[in-house]
Amino acid sequence: MYELLDALINGRLGLGWPGWAVALLGHVAVATLLFLVAPVQMLFFTYYERRAIARMQDRIGPNRVGPEGIWQPIADGVKMFTKEDIVPAAADRYVHLLAPIVVVAPTMFMFAVVPWGPGMVPVDLNVGLLFFFAISSISAVGLMMAGWASNNKFALLGAMRAVAQMVSYEIPAVLSLIAIVMLTGTLSVVQIVAAQGGLVISTADLPGVPDVGLGWFIFTPVGLLACLCFFIAALAEGERTPFDIPEADSEIVAGYMTEYSGMKFGLFYLAQYVLNFLLCAITAVVFCGGWQGPGVGWLAAQGLSPANPDGSWVFNLFAGMLGVFYFLAKTYFFFFVMIWARGAFPRLRVDQLMDFGWKFLIPLTLVNVVSAAVWVGITRWGPEEGLDFTAQWSPLLRWGVAFALTMAINVVAYLTLARLYAAAQAARGRVDLEELVGSVPTSA
Amino acid sequence: MTLVIQLIFGLVAALIIGAAMMVVLVRNVIHAALWLIACFFGVGALYLLLQAEFLAVVQVLIYVGAISILILFAIMLTRQVTGEGVRQLVGGWRLWLTVAISALLFAVVIVPTVASQQWNVPPPLGPEGAPEPLAGPAELGRGFVSEFLLQFEVAGVLLTVALIGAIVVAYEERARRRRVLTLAEEHELRKRAAASDQPAGD
Amino acid sequence: MTNAIPLEAVLVVAGALFCIGLFGALSRRNMVGILMGVELMLNAVNINLVAFWRYLEPRFITGQTFALFVIAVAAAEAAVGLAMIIAIYRSWQTVNADSVDSLRG
Repeated sequence: MYELLDALINGRLGLGWPGWAVALLGHVAVATLLFLVAPVQMLFFTYYERRAIARMQDRIGPNRVGPEGIWQPIADGVKMFTKEDIVPAAADRYVHLLAPIVVVAPTMFMFAVVPWGPGMVPVDLNVGLLFFFAISSISAVGLMMAGWASNNKFALLGAMRAVAQMVSYEIPAVLSLIAIVMLTGTLSVVQIVAAQGGLVISTADLPGVPDVGLGWFIFTPVGLLACLCFFIAALAEGERTPFDIPEADSEIVAGYMTEYSGMKFGLFYLAQYVLNFLLCAITAVVFCGGWQGPGVGWLAAQGLSPANPDGSWVFNLFAGMLGVFYFLAKTYFFFFVMIWARGAFPRLRVDQLMDFGWKFLIPLTLVNVVSAAVWVGITRWGPEEGLDFTAQWSPLLRWGVAFALTMAINVVAYLTLARLYAAAQAARGRVDLEELVGSVPTSA
Repeated sequence: MTLVIQLIFGLVAALIIGAAMMVVLVRNVIHAALWLIACFFGVGALYLLLQAEFLAVVQVLIYVGAISILILFAIMLTRQVTGEGVRQLVGGWRLWLTVAISALLFAVVIVPTVASQQWNVPPPLGPEGAPEPLAGPAELGRGFVSEFLLQFEVAGVLLTVALIGAIVVAYEERARRRRVLTLAEEHELRKRAAASDQPAGD
Repeated sequence: MTNAIPLEAVLVVAGALFCIGLFGALSRRNMVGILMGVELMLNAVNINLVAFWRYLEPRFITGQTFALFVIAVAAAEAAVGLAMIIAIYRSWQTVNADSVDSLRG
């Protein structure tokens, strides 16, 4: 973007702007584009979710406004704009006003590090993945503000639940990403995507594999377990069923959103769907190659770049379009899985939620970090790091041994933990019941 | 460019100091905690300005995402004092003493020391115009597993101990907790009551 | 960057933050307020460490490492401190630091 603008302003037009002004203009242009794209994604997601869940429940869903109801989200938006903005008399006015902003702003910030296609990333931060999670944890503060400022029991309860859930599930999410960070040795999202070229086996593990953009981490045992754990944690972070406890409408009205109306409610809604989009996007980017797919790498190689100055910009355009297509297809697929989970599972209880996060997901992701270390040790390390016995092995053998070993570790860990967890839950249920039977006098 | 950086620094410094003043002066404890979050943000922005990206991100992750949430939780769990009207600062001569201590520390100790010290700041590294080769997250990571390994482990032990300690200290006895039955439990109880009635009736 | 802002400016900001935090820790009656003052002071220390790292020895990681350890200790301190405040609140029904004085002779 910077080079393009620089060539246009200082080269073609000859205006002679300083570097920082060009960079500022470029970032403002990208940010404006993202601010336009994010609400459109949210509008599409609401329509997509309503139609898909309707199909699962043997209904049709919204189909009145426009062809197949495609303009329904616009109609909903207009309705929201025209509603009265109510602030409860006992509310803390300023905090009540500020809360939706504090919830929405971080979700927009998070777009800064998401790569859409080859070379299409707003900012390539060298701590991108960490930035994503740091920023996402800010919205918890906004939820707390909303719950407290509304001065409503349901709102406060919902906020407490939401924040407890977000803080607990951030740990398994980050731990499962750490496994991938260990495999790639970088926190930059762009480099994580770049490491996923290849065909089933990543080119980073086995040089010489044909690069058709299919060396995704989900094809390795470490990546698969990390992806499952991350996606479950993402369901909890995005407050999706079966973890939609913070806004369980049958228990606490609408949680922290209870006292919000009109566009303020709309902002919470926007934040939630944009967050879901981002969580699906980061799952697609980190575990499923992001824009990587058959053809993108070849097209990008034909295009104009510093390494290939006599390429054609047409190829750049096609590579970008194909990359964005792959990225969005994967993202929409993961969102479909979220809707599917909503159609399939009932809501968890709060204590079940906490138990599952702390006693099952966190140990599992910790084991996965160990397997990631085994993977790196066997595929990358050599005599310099003090690992002699792999020196004579061929890369393919190393990959096979690493695959088998990590697979064994992960499967054994999963089975053991699942059994332990089930036994603990059953024992806990028994203790609860005995305590109750002891405390409640029976009619006899 | 220099002017832009100075302007940003001025804004960030004003945010940090202003938010910190609000933290100690505001009456409502929740508002104080929210200003504290604003102050943490300002400090994170200052780290970014000082080109410590990793620390800036960690600052947001730990302080904004975890510590301030903990503080908000603690305030909400210990209600009754959040409202206005309750006197939040110590009164009388003790207040003036603390004001004097802090003001004198700043005006008599810190500012003169900083002003009189001759700092020999080395010239910027690397060739003119190119980005400076600063220590980044990769160097930090390597440092943690080589040079600072012992300290790193000790910090891990400290955090574990703090985690367990916090749970033990704040743990409430099960028996003292008020308990609401779930529908499933109620059903199970009824079933048991009915089952125990049955032999009695025979 | 280093020639745009003098090191002294950063240090003075950190010093001011430290003094404000000290004032908060000494004069608040609410225990959570005291803890917030302590957090401000720790942040001031961190600013100092990062500033010294950036200006005096940007090639080494010592300053940043020290700041990270301070953050870890601050997290531990906040967790334990707030747990104690909640425990005290449970048995005394107050979070006022002056009212908890049963150890006074």
